[in-house]
Amino acid sequence: MKAIKNSSWLLVILFIAIYPMTLGKLYPYHIPLLIIVGIYVILATSLDLLVGVTGQISLGHAGFFAIGAYTSGILSATYHISPPVALGIGLLISGIVAWVTGRSVLALKGYYLAMATLGLNVVIYTLIVGFQWLTGGATGLRDIPSFTMFNLTFKSYSQYYYIVWAFVLLIVGSCLAILKSPLGRTLIAIHSDETAASIFGVDCPKYKLHIFVLSSLYASVAGSLLAHYMGFISPDDFSFFTSIRILVMIFLGGAGTIYGPAVGAIFLKILPELTYRFHDYELLLEGLILIFVLVFVPGGLFRILIAMKNQFQNVRFAHWKW
Amino acid sequence: MVTKHSQKKSQADGYLLNIVDVTKTFSGLTALLRTSFSIKQGQLKALIGPNGAGKTTLLNIISGLLQPDSGHTYFRGQDLVGVKPDKIALLGISRTFQLVKLFTVNNATVLDNVMLGAHQRLKPSILGALFSRSRMLKQEAEVKETAWEMLKFFGLELEAEGSPSSLPFGKQRLLELARSLMSEPHLLLLDEPASGLNDAEVENFAGILSTIQKKGITILLVEHNMKLVMNIAEEIVVIDYGQKIAEGNPGEIAANRKVIEAYLGEKKL
Repeated sequence: MKAIKNSSWLLVILFIAIYPMTLGKLYPYHIPLLIIVGIYVILATSLDLLVGVTGQISLGHAGFFAIGAYTSGILSATYHISPPVALGIGLLISGIVAWVTGRSVLALKGYYLAMATLGLNVVIYTLIVGFQWLTGGATGLRDIPSFTMFNLTFKSYSQYYYIVWAFVLLIVGSCLAILKSPLGRTLIAIHSDETAASIFGVDCPKYKLHIFVLSSLYASVAGSLLAHYMGFISPDDFSFFTSIRILVMIFLGGAGTIYGPAVGAIFLKILPELTYRFHDYELLLEGLILIFVLVFVPGGLFRILIAMKNQFQNVRFAHWKW
Repeated sequence: MVTKHSQKKSQADGYLLNIVDVTKTFSGLTALLRTSFSIKQGQLKALIGPNGAGKTTLLNIISGLLQPDSGHTYFRGQDLVGVKPDKIALLGISRTFQLVKLFTVNNATVLDNVMLGAHQRLKPSILGALFSRSRMLKQEAEVKETAWEMLKFFGLELEAEGSPSSLPFGKQRLLELARSLMSEPHLLLLDEPASGLNDAEVENFAGILSTIQKKGITILLVEHNMKLVMNIAEEIVVIDYGQKIAEGNPGEIAANRKVIEAYLGEKKL
């Protein structure tokens, strides 16, 4: 069974690798979409580590997405610092902000935690709008250069596609590695019952802070990737509506599974492409699909996929002896 | 007042835990009033008393979930007051809960619950999970083996991959105990572990407790089931309205007038 598991991973990687040369050639318009999808997969899986696995609700993920994007944007556009370095500095700033705010914010629970993280998002948003000389204010920051690394410029869509999806695989892989390790078990214990966890020597505040910082770092990477891809960013990309949208991806896909939120992000970003034909009814249809999934499939889309896979295996391998 | 001198003395006498003049009130209601007693290394001591006598409050104070208004709890001479629960756990104190607190979210299994007991041995971290995976996997395999042995000892191996919430209540209690034993405690605090168990299960449980005691683990047992307590406890402390009213071996306690009054009410002449 393990071989099947590993080979399905290889298949996914292979599919991502050859997509631009094969299917991507047929539908060139899909590549830019997949870049955005990749960025949202990073956001959703990294937030799932905090929300779905550790059980700490956050409505402020877009705040760290913004810090990454604006640090990268400002440093590379205004100060001509190379993008990888700008990305690194963005990580540093996001990490510091998460560390400093996390200590006090994560002492809160439930609704209060949601409110505090929402506040954090609003503060970051307001600062971006306010510091107009630095960030371009409400009109946005333009002329952000493309991603360059080792004298290579990733200008074309399919080149940048590889950069983004390399980060996606790295980050999703690391989230899964954490989930399937003793650390993942500890985080689930914190989610389940902090009192009981502490009785077994789990330093809950420490672990919550570490995961908060890690998930903020990943959001910051997503922000940097977005800035260099779009070339133009505005504060509205990072309002708390974005945070809520990331949360919807998590619960739509199946919270706490890492795979699920990745599926949720892909689904929610591709859905508008399928419903756009319905013009005026686009949003209505999208909303209906969301309600349907959330009401009738509490385990999320990932649960549906697992059920389908089991069905398939039962049919196909029923007569096999393992 | 407890001085450094008396702390040393208590250790020399072989006491593992000293509870000294512990008082705790909840908004005017006195849960514990200057309660003191000690537990010797390797002893199985029972703490009994009517409902609301303050037994669980005392366990919560020992494990660091509550802070006393005054008084001290010394574990091997170290004052536990003001120490966080997770740090107390690292000293080698573990416990079970009156209302079981098992880990159930994200499809956590029975095996996961038992393995979490070994948290202190694994000391997981982000860096460890990402960058020293081979060492982590080796430790994890060792812990898994111990966990399986533990599950077999408690007769839970068939349910290992199932959800703890699907277990019958008696088995949930055993699972809590298995999880606590995984942390290799020196002192085990059990909060009414036999409540809700039937007679056969209680008998089985008594056997398990003496096996645990034989391994050198000191046990403080809070329990309502008098048959169990009288059978297995070496010494019994009785508290009523937050105050210690008696302490002694089961025979002495059974004959104690104050204890009888506390349980059955005062004799009216």
